[in-house]
Amino acid sequence: MIISDNTKKQIDSWIEKYPQGKQSSAVMEALKLVQAENDNQLTSEAIQAVADYLDMPGIAAAEVATFYENYNHKPVGKHIIRFCHNISCMLNGADDLITHLETKLGVKTGEVTKDGLISVKKVECLGACVGAPMFQIDDQYYEHLTADKIDDIVDGLK
Amino acid sequence: MASITIEIDGNIVNAKAGERLITITDREGISVPRFCYHKKLSVSTSCRMCLVDIEGVPKPQTACSTPVSDGMKIHTQNEKAKASQKAVMEFLLINHPLDCPICDQGGECELQDVAVEYGSDVSRFSEGKRVVAPSDIGPLIQTDMTRCIHCTRCVRFGSEIAGIMEMGGTGRGEDLKIEPFLAEGITSELSGNMIDVCPVGALTSKPFRYELRSWQMASADSVARHDLVGSNLYAQTYKGLVKRVVSGDNELVNETWISDRDRFSYEGLAHENRLLLPQIKVEGQWKEVEWNVALDFAIKGLNKNALNSRKAHKLGGLASSTATTEEFYLMQKMLREIGCENIDYRLNVNNLDDPIHLDSNIKLSDLECVDNVLVIGANLRLEQPMINLRLRKAQLAGATVSALNVKAFDYNHKTNHSTVSPNEIATILAGALKVILEKNSLEAPSYITNINPSELSINLAGKLLNSERSVIVLGEHVINNTQAASIAQMVAQIAKQVNGKTLNVTSSANTLGAQYAHFLPKSKGMNTNEMLTADMSAFLLLDIYPEYDFHHSNSAVEALSKDDVFVVSLNSFNNELVAQYSDVLLPMAAMYETSGSHVNINHDMQSFAAAVKAPEEAKPAWKILKVFADLLELQGFHYENITQVSEELRHQKIYKHKQDIAIELGKKSPAIETIWMHSAYHSDALLRHAKSLSSSKIGQTNSASMNTATAKELSLECGNTYLGVPVVVSDSVADRCVFVSSNQSTDMGRE
Repeated sequence: MIISDNTKKQIDSWIEKYPQGKQSSAVMEALKLVQAENDNQLTSEAIQAVADYLDMPGIAAAEVATFYENYNHKPVGKHIIRFCHNISCMLNGADDLITHLETKLGVKTGEVTKDGLISVKKVECLGACVGAPMFQIDDQYYEHLTADKIDDIVDGLK
Repeated sequence: MASITIEIDGNIVNAKAGERLITITDREGISVPRFCYHKKLSVSTSCRMCLVDIEGVPKPQTACSTPVSDGMKIHTQNEKAKASQKAVMEFLLINHPLDCPICDQGGECELQDVAVEYGSDVSRFSEGKRVVAPSDIGPLIQTDMTRCIHCTRCVRFGSEIAGIMEMGGTGRGEDLKIEPFLAEGITSELSGNMIDVCPVGALTSKPFRYELRSWQMASADSVARHDLVGSNLYAQTYKGLVKRVVSGDNELVNETWISDRDRFSYEGLAHENRLLLPQIKVEGQWKEVEWNVALDFAIKGLNKNALNSRKAHKLGGLASSTATTEEFYLMQKMLREIGCENIDYRLNVNNLDDPIHLDSNIKLSDLECVDNVLVIGANLRLEQPMINLRLRKAQLAGATVSALNVKAFDYNHKTNHSTVSPNEIATILAGALKVILEKNSLEAPSYITNINPSELSINLAGKLLNSERSVIVLGEHVINNTQAASIAQMVAQIAKQVNGKTLNVTSSANTLGAQYAHFLPKSKGMNTNEMLTADMSAFLLLDIYPEYDFHHSNSAVEALSKDDVFVVSLNSFNNELVAQYSDVLLPMAAMYETSGSHVNINHDMQSFAAAVKAPEEAKPAWKILKVFADLLELQGFHYENITQVSEELRHQKIYKHKQDIAIELGKKSPAIETIWMHSAYHSDALLRHAKSLSSSKIGQTNSASMNTATAKELSLECGNTYLGVPVVVSDSVADRCVFVSSNQSTDMGRE
């Protein structure tokens, strides 16, 4: 597993932000960068490669990589829908909307549509309670969701 | 820290400001329940079990993380404290399975004990419990992670003590799992301690799985004899068999940890290959006989071949370095009584004419306080794991560690590795000595006047001169260096010049015991190598396995197999070669089956009693030797018990065969240099028969490492063998050198 020179350069710029010898502090960004150049997915080899690059134990990098929802350990679709199911969204009907989305796409949360276009994930609070229920598609938030709104948004994904 | 007084449960207690509350309650004998806290590990405050009530603080506080201040009033038993502890207990039990009846930890489980006191007898939790698939982490540790309560003691042990973080917490919240990464298994040489620190049955001993309950076993204090530390431990026994070994506490020796080889070597005791009955060889055929017949036969043979004809000088006595001090003592006393001076325990040394002389003059507990370490020729992590553990602490506290090795070994602490060929070591040290002498304005001896100190020498000398508490560790790889004695002498001189200490780990097990027992040839005696080439007529051998123990294994077997040589062998295991050359085989007790003592590197003579009786007809070697002496009608062997032997030898001073040798440098060997070491779990007979250790990652080590250029020169590549050992090409090995770490015998031609 080789990290590209370009990615290494970007990781290095993160390492510089921390005191010397604390390069492992850059692990989150490093994982993110390596994931981005590997089909948006982190394999064990990729995690180990990051750990080696930052001179930290593989398991320590894996702890981080498995803690956060934004690291993918299985193949994902071109677009990822991250549906919040925490308290505000839940009280505003997130559970029913998740079921609606699953039925519409014919997949369960954690799976990818057959055409490889969309994967759905249930995630913890994304800090947008004011707009609950909400989800995030790639880098964009969509708030005050309804079943119709979801249909429109999802149909527009290419 | 300022002295203060605090009040715990109404009693006034003295403490130091800033001390953690739990250390005070532990010291005062006040019981506070806990799971994640461990006195040797960092505080994680993850289990919340140690909640106590502190007056003036609205919420209960964790005793493990709360520093005390003057006048603090603490309640560990009041209603608030108890209610908090019970509430935490209820949470901990939510996901814990109720499988105590089939759990190996049952009966010695911290969770079980605390649950009896703080748990409710009815669970209010009716939802489904979490189940975690077990992961296979190797042959030593069994995992049942459904039982895990996420205290992270094993994780912290790995990263803080063992120095390699192998376990970790993956996932989050309810999905948090403690597991190793990549299912590679656990490779640490100290991994078994995770079993001891685990407060529940998540990590248990694999070889001991489903064997017994802890209360069924008797526990005997004992001392490990695989290295120079003599770790204190408990041998747990049932119906005459050692069933498990757990660590003991001794701050001066092993703190509270033991190495895996000390923990799991007991498995060898029950190996089917044990020698169980006395045997004599009649007309080339082995015959099992009674003890008196075997001993008579042995005495007659020795008399005929050596003693009757005043040929005691043609008798040789050799013993394995794993023998007890008492065994060494009785054997040399007996041999010297009958006029035999040919006594030696140094079997694996090529050149015994100029042996290594170097005192170890630093205590194990002081090793963690040094500020500069120079390791010469040692893979300490595997060879002396407990010493490495102390040095690692020193390194973490800021000491610099430098290593002069044939290979950049995988140390678990920050080390400045210099990979050098064995024949460069003497010159490097001479250069460093020269720099140091010049700095101290002393005249340099003639052998170094022509030396031009290399950059490495100057660097090492600088580090030694700039530190206040240096230690130089001389390791096992130097033992067969052509300039071993010179190296040792220069190490001593350098240490003297920089007011440093030295640690001699060139030999292991109970070699210091052998020196206290004077188990060495004095003036007229022959050493091992001389005996093997001389015209001998008889040998008395104690637990020797020639293909592993001798450096000159081929010539040893040849010398012992001669027709007119009568060989009496005391052994704990059967061995083909031993059977080939011996005339009498006497089954002897192994570790845990005999009483005696071990002398460790602190020069502590640590005594231990037999934990179990030896199997079938095997007897403790000290008893065999005593009866042997009686049958030879020797005076001074009227011992009634082992204590009398120990008392007698306790007054002996260590035997030092000290001689200053003329140091000569510059002998460069044109050939490719090979350092042959047994893998860490094959260094003595008991270890070689311990099955789980042999199948572990370290036990499987069998490689001849060399760099690309050397491999090319030898026309070898990965997949080939070198001296019968698979080749590994690694550029961490010095040029024109091969480092062999093998779990095989040496009969493939180490010579």
